[in-house]
Formats: sequence, structure tokens, C-alpha cells
Amino acid sequence: MPTFSERVRTAAGQYTLQVALGRATGQLGAQRAAAFSSLDHSDLIRDGARAVKMTLLRDLGRHLSRFEERLIANGVHVHWAETADAANQIIVDIATRRHAKRILKAKSMASEETHLNDALEQAGFQVVETDLGEYIVQLGGDRPSHIIAPIIHLTREKVAELMHRELQVPYSDDPQTLARYAREKLRGEFLQGDIGVTGANFGIIEDGSICIVTNEGNGRMVTTLPPVHVVLMGIEKLVPTLADLDLFLKILARSATGQKLTAYTTLVRGPRRAGDECGAEEMHVVLLDNGRSRILAGETAEILGCIRCGACLNICPIYRSIGGHAYGDTYQGPIGAVVTPGLKGLRDWKELPFASTLCGACQEVCPVRLEIPRMLLSLRRAAVQETATSPQLKFAIKVFARIASRPRVYRVVTRMVRAIMRRRATQGWVTEAPGLAAGWTKVRDLKAPAAVTFQEIWRRRSKT
Amino acid sequence: MVVHLFHTCLVNEIYPDVAMAAVRVLERLGFEVNVPLAQTCCGQPAYNAGFHPDARLAGRHTLAVLGATTGPIVIPSGSCADMLIHQYEILFHDEPEWLEKVHAVAKRCQEFSQFVADFLSGASLGGRLSARVAYHPSCHLLRGLGVRTPPKMLLQAVNGVELVTLRDEEECCGFGGLFSVSNPEISASMMDRKLSSVLQSGADRLVSCDSGCLLHLAGGLRRRASSVKVQHLAEILDEALD
Amino acid sequence: MNGARARILAKLRSAQLTARLPVADSPHDRPEPARGSTQECIDRFRAELTALGVDCYLEGSAEGLRRRVVTLVDGRRILSWDPDLLPYGLGSLVGSATLGQNVRERQAEAEVGLTGCDAAIAETGSLVLLSGKGKSRAISLLPPLHVAVVQPKGFCFSMGEFFQTHAEDVAASASCTFVTGPSRTADIELTLTLGVHGPGKVIVLIGPDD
Repeated sequence: MPTFSERVRTAAGQYTLQVALGRATGQLGAQRAAAFSSLDHSDLIRDGARAVKMTLLRDLGRHLSRFEERLIANGVHVHWAETADAANQIIVDIATRRHAKRILKAKSMASEETHLNDALEQAGFQVVETDLGEYIVQLGGDRPSHIIAPIIHLTREKVAELMHRELQVPYSDDPQTLARYAREKLRGEFLQGDIGVTGANFGIIEDGSICIVTNEGNGRMVTTLPPVHVVLMGIEKLVPTLADLDLFLKILARSATGQKLTAYTTLVRGPRRAGDECGAEEMHVVLLDNGRSRILAGETAEILGCIRCGACLNICPIYRSIGGHAYGDTYQGPIGAVVTPGLKGLRDWKELPFASTLCGACQEVCPVRLEIPRMLLSLRRAAVQETATSPQLKFAIKVFARIASRPRVYRVVTRMVRAIMRRRATQGWVTEAPGLAAGWTKVRDLKAPAAVTFQEIWRRRSKT
Repeated sequence: MVVHLFHTCLVNEIYPDVAMAAVRVLERLGFEVNVPLAQTCCGQPAYNAGFHPDARLAGRHTLAVLGATTGPIVIPSGSCADMLIHQYEILFHDEPEWLEKVHAVAKRCQEFSQFVADFLSGASLGGRLSARVAYHPSCHLLRGLGVRTPPKMLLQAVNGVELVTLRDEEECCGFGGLFSVSNPEISASMMDRKLSSVLQSGADRLVSCDSGCLLHLAGGLRRRASSVKVQHLAEILDEALD
Repeated sequence: MNGARARILAKLRSAQLTARLPVADSPHDRPEPARGSTQECIDRFRAELTALGVDCYLEGSAEGLRRRVVTLVDGRRILSWDPDLLPYGLGSLVGSATLGQNVRERQAEAEVGLTGCDAAIAETGSLVLLSGKGKSRAISLLPPLHVAVVQPKGFCFSMGEFFQTHAEDVAASASCTFVTGPSRTADIELTLTLGVHGPGKVIVLIGPDD
């Protein structure tokens, strides 16, 4: 995989990506803002949602056991997966036992995380993504670039080309036509699916049920028509009661797209009951750890309160500049910058927490008020302690720290640095800075330090 | 009444006029300004870079210098003010004796515009200046300290100042301290967006309360040969009072 | 698998000791679920449906409602709830014209899905559909047009109210779906497109009080 810097440079050079990102994040951000300004008691609701999640996380194990109990009482088979591979294997085994051929997927970030599709395909099953964006991603062998709007990085022309090529349909870049192509193609798939795999937006503990929200209806299709329903969900995606679910449903769709609710909000409570004509006969829930328990043990524990709304992506100026693929893994934007190093370790992912100005816009829009800047700072501290740092940077910081506590030495050293910079300046500005500062002058001038410091001015003034 | 100025390292070295302007404004309000000369730097660059033990060296010195004074501490920088008011709490989280000093100092600190606006309580600072001004709210000031309207109110109260709206006003300018050199492409991309808002706004001046943002944006404007004048809030208020 | 469960729970227990989480606050006040009179519900519901692009007809009589349904579905292949479960005597209208008993593919050929609803949420313009005998989930999902009949007594102002007043019904059903407008996507360049997998058009009829 190319390095983070390379990925950033690639993104910066893609004009259509920049245009697409600007339009999409601007629109989604504006929709979110409008939806919240019309929500009564929005602060109280967000505070309450945060409190629910944090309370849950403080005793997650006990809540999970209770959830398992209630699921089993509803006739659901419960599986525990420590790793991505374990989760995939559980699902492959279910498919094998059922002699399945065709597996339908509704949107599930957890399944992206485990690369479930690859595992199923390698085991000989046919996998069909049913969310329009994910379907197009699958057609193109691509990866999603936004947790809510997976093909935000593709123009309609690119989508048209893809469908024309892969589905042998007449070329059209009209979104309505393209959606119709998908509807027609996938309708047949829905009717013949052997297994439906979904994620879960929320697991409701006391109810022993799961909640899935979609706009397209594929979530309903996939949980209604095939005889088997498998849910792959992170262990943290719980809420205690339906009253809590109500609280979260008030803010999930609003945060993601500005809607009050998505078109379909479905609670699934076990397999079909006697007399039901639709619904799975057999239902499984796979509880996925895959590094979440390790995140819970540390300074970024509260990131597990994330409800995957995408609001932070839409407001983040870094995401706006580089898009989702540059983050290199399943989760993008501010949430990705915290979760990816948490799930996969800092050694290979430490650029992510540093790729931020700590502006705090993410925390401001987060429906559960996650303290993302604080967590980014913790990750930076951990990166310095646990991984290799640039020797020049380390040296510069150490020197700086030591002179900062010795005012006289500080004044001498800064006078030297000022002199060096002033020598390089013309008319008070430096156009080519040396060393660590070279990146600065690639795109902007650098004001040369003053001839006389404020303290020197002040001392003179105090004498007169 | 005496107030103490924590001028910040950036202002001391690069923008001394900002501190002088802040002093003159404060004196005009009737304050006597003291400058503890042993101050150096609050340690934010080291802290943001993840070097917390090193940041603590600078922090302990800063706390000692400021702790040797009593009364209000005024800081002409949103990010340094946030460092002292909120981040030291985290930095010295595990050192109870220093935490006490942190609390004692933090509650005396105020960012410059916050301090002036609080003191005036709606009264006008006075002054006149004919200018079309765009105000850039720096992130630590806006979100870290929750200071949203005081700088704008202070600007609007100057006779002759027309405050223009910046498109996507609250979006970060892309400075972010060391971020500007460690992530230069992203920083440049963010700067481009902010500067195009500034240029579209028709402003002839760009004002902010943070010298880091000003250094970054002024550098970008100069590279574009723009004539927009870049000033700290203290400087424009001081100019208006002249 | 049992091993995995024990190991995950053990990791979570030990994680608790070092987890950096905010200090526990006292239980948060949360707003009580909003409630309203039937008329307030109807007014709010209709306003929400307008915003969602859902056509809504308010019929003052069962007879009027039946006539309206006939205009909407006449000549089209219908999938519907079991006739006994449809309100306002609609069951006799629909009778044997439904594809309800047929194999899935035949069901998918239906042009209209006709349902009642188990409740309606005024605050969000949502129809609540619980699964159950004679109320197949496919009816409101497969056809391109969904016609839903609401009785005024079925209104709750808010979802919170619904969860409070219908807890038993919810617990007795394998699925509970809140349908809020037609199926939609904005995946392609954030351009709104209706009718991706579910119905592209929803029409709601509100009948008289019993």
C-alpha cells in the first residue's frame, strides 16, 4: 500500500475528487445543521445519548452477556468472534451448513472491516452487495470512501461507465436510470438469496433485538426474503432499552443526512414467528471484538460510543481535502483517525492522528460529543513513546523544552535563530525556509522574525 | 489595576507589535500592564507533537512565572490561552502538586478579546477606522474557549468598520502549528479554501486573534500578491483608537 | 466458540480497570416523549408527509375511503394484507384479487401493495408495520406503489410514545418497521433518486374515527 503521504498527494492531485468532496460534504453538513436547529432539546438529547453510551462502556461485558441472553430467548443463535478471521469463518460455516449459493449483503461497516466478501468468495459463495453505493463499489472492485455515502468519490459519469461495462446496459449518466438498473438487477438477487447478511446500527439489550436503518429498502429485503439472516456487529453497538433507542434515532439520521428518520427503520426480533409469511427461519448474531476490547482498555475507550453517522467526516477540513481512500482503511475521517490505530496498532497507522489541526469541529458536530481532539493527542503521545520519531524533530523538541525553562538561554538561542532567518529574508519575508520549515515556503511566504523582540521593546520602555 | 501579559513566543519573536498594541488598548481601558519577563513559551508545540514530558518542562516554568504574580493574566492568542486554561489540566493530570498550580493560574487567564469584551460589557471601546474587515475565528478560540461573538462585537463597535461575512467562516485555516510543515499539502489545500473565501468577501483587511493563523494566512496572501492587510485584533483596535 | 466468549469477556473485564471514560454523571434527564391530541397528530402527520413527498388523503367516511382506494388500485395487480385485517371494509373490496397466496416471484409482479398499519407516528410522518399472520412484510416492500390506510386511533405523536404504549405488540412481533416516505438513495453525486429497492411511491389514506 502506498504511504500516507503518497495517498495524500494522489488525492490532492485529483480534481474531480476535490470537486465531488466539496459538493458532498458541504451539502451533507448543511443538511445536518438544518436538521439539528429544528430539533427540540437537541443538547439534552445529545448529552443523554453520550451518557447512555459511556455508562454502557463502563460495564460492557455484563451488558453483552445480558444481550446474548435476550437474543437466545428470542430464538437467535449467538456467536462470539475475537478476530476478523474468526467472524468470517463463523459466517462461512453457516453458509456451508445451509448449502447456500448466493449471499446478499446490506450495508455493514463491520463486514468491510473483516473483509467478509473476500472470505465468502474464496470459500466459493457468490456475494451480492445490495446497497446501491456498495453495489457500485463491488462492480468496480473499489473500496468505499465514506461510511454513509460510499461512492462520494465517483462522478455520475464514472458510475455510468462502470454499469455499462459490467452490466451490459445502455450507457446513461442519469442517476434515476442508474438506480433503476440496480433495482432491476438486484430484484432477481433478492428473490433468490439464500442468506442475508446485515450489520446492526443498534442492538437493543433488554429487547434482544437489533435495529437496522436504511433509505433504500435493501435492509428490509435482505432480512425479509432469504431463509437465513446473519447479523455481524461490533460488541459496542448496544443500547439498553427501546426508550434509549428512541433517543438515538432522534439524532442518527439527522447527523448523517439531515433526515428526521431514514425511509426504513427496522427492528428485528428473532426469526419469523408462527403465522409469519416473511422473515428468516434462522437468525444469527455474530458479536465482533477484533480489537475493540483493546481500545476499551486505553485512552481512546470512548471512541466505542461512535454511532457511525459520518457527521465528523462531513465537517472535517482534512477529510474534505483528502477524501476517504487516503485514510487507508475501513473507517475514514476523524473517527478513522482514532479507530484505525486503535484496532490495528499505531506502528503502521501513526500518521493518521497527526493529520489534524485539532480544530475540534468533529467534536462539535458529534451526536454523542466524542472528544476526538483529546483522543488524537493521546494517540500522538503514545506514538512518540512507542514508535520511531523523526530524529530532527525529536532533537528540536528536546532542545526547545530545555531552553524554554531557562529564560536567559532561551533569549540567546532565539536571537540566533532570528538572525539566521532574517539573513534569508528580503523585505521582511523569507521565500525559501531551511530544514523542517521547507514545507512552509513551498506554498506561502514566511514573515521574518522581528529585529527587536517585544521583551526588548518592553525593557526599553520600562527604563524610560 | 494590574494585569499581566502572557505575550506568547510567536508574538514576542515575530509579531511584537501585536503585544504593544494589546498593551496600549489595555492601558486605554485604565489597566496597568505588567510583563513577567521570565516567560518563554507555554509548551504547546511540544504538547501537540506528542512530546508530553518535554511540554511539561516548559509548562512548569510557565506556571512558576505566572504563579509568582496575582491578578488577571491576558493572552493575545486563542491557542495559547486554551493551552493554559484547558490543556495544562490534561498535561499535569498525574502530578497533583502541579495540578493545584494549574488550577490557580488557569482561572486567572483570559484571551485578549474575551478580557476586553468582558470588561466593556457591551460599552464601546470607541475609535474610528474606515475598513472592510473579514474576521477569521481561530479554532482554539472558537471551540476550545467558546469565544464566538466578542471579537466581532469589538470590531463592529469601531466607527467606520464594515464587517463582511466569510464563506465557511468557521472552517479551520489549516495552520495547526507543526501541521503546517508536517502535512504541507493538506495545510495548503485548507489555506487555499480560506484565502479564496477572504478574497471573495471583498475585505481589505483580515483580522484574527491568533498569530499562528495570521502568520499562515498572511504568508499565503503575500504569495498571491494580495493587498489585503492582515492584522491581529489588538492591532486594529489600537489603530482605531489612535 | 465458547472459548472465544470467555476470552472476550475476560478482556472486557480487565479493560474496565484502565478504560479512560468520563466520570459517571447522575442519570441524565431526557425529554419526555412528545404527545398530542388526535387532531394535532393528524395535522403534524400530514405536514411531515408533504415534506416527504407522500400523497395523503383525509377521508371523512369509510365509503369515501373505499372509493379512493378503488381509484388508486383499480386495474392493477395488488398485493395486500389479509382481507380480515384491512380496516374500513376494504377487505371485501380486495377479496381474492390479491397475489398474497402466490409464490414469491408472482408477488414481485404486483404493482400495488395495500396495507393498514399498526400505528402511525405523527412527529416523523412514519407508518408502523409489525410483522404477523396475514401482514406479510413483502407487501409494503416489493411493489413500486405502497398504499397505506391509517385509522385516527392508531396515531402516536412520537416514537417514544409508541414504544411506551405498544410495548407488548412490539415484543410479540418478529419485526417492527417504521416506514418514513418512499425508498430513496443519494449515493450517486448526492442526487436524490426514489424507488431504489422499496416502493418509489407511497400514498397514505387517513379514514374517519370509528
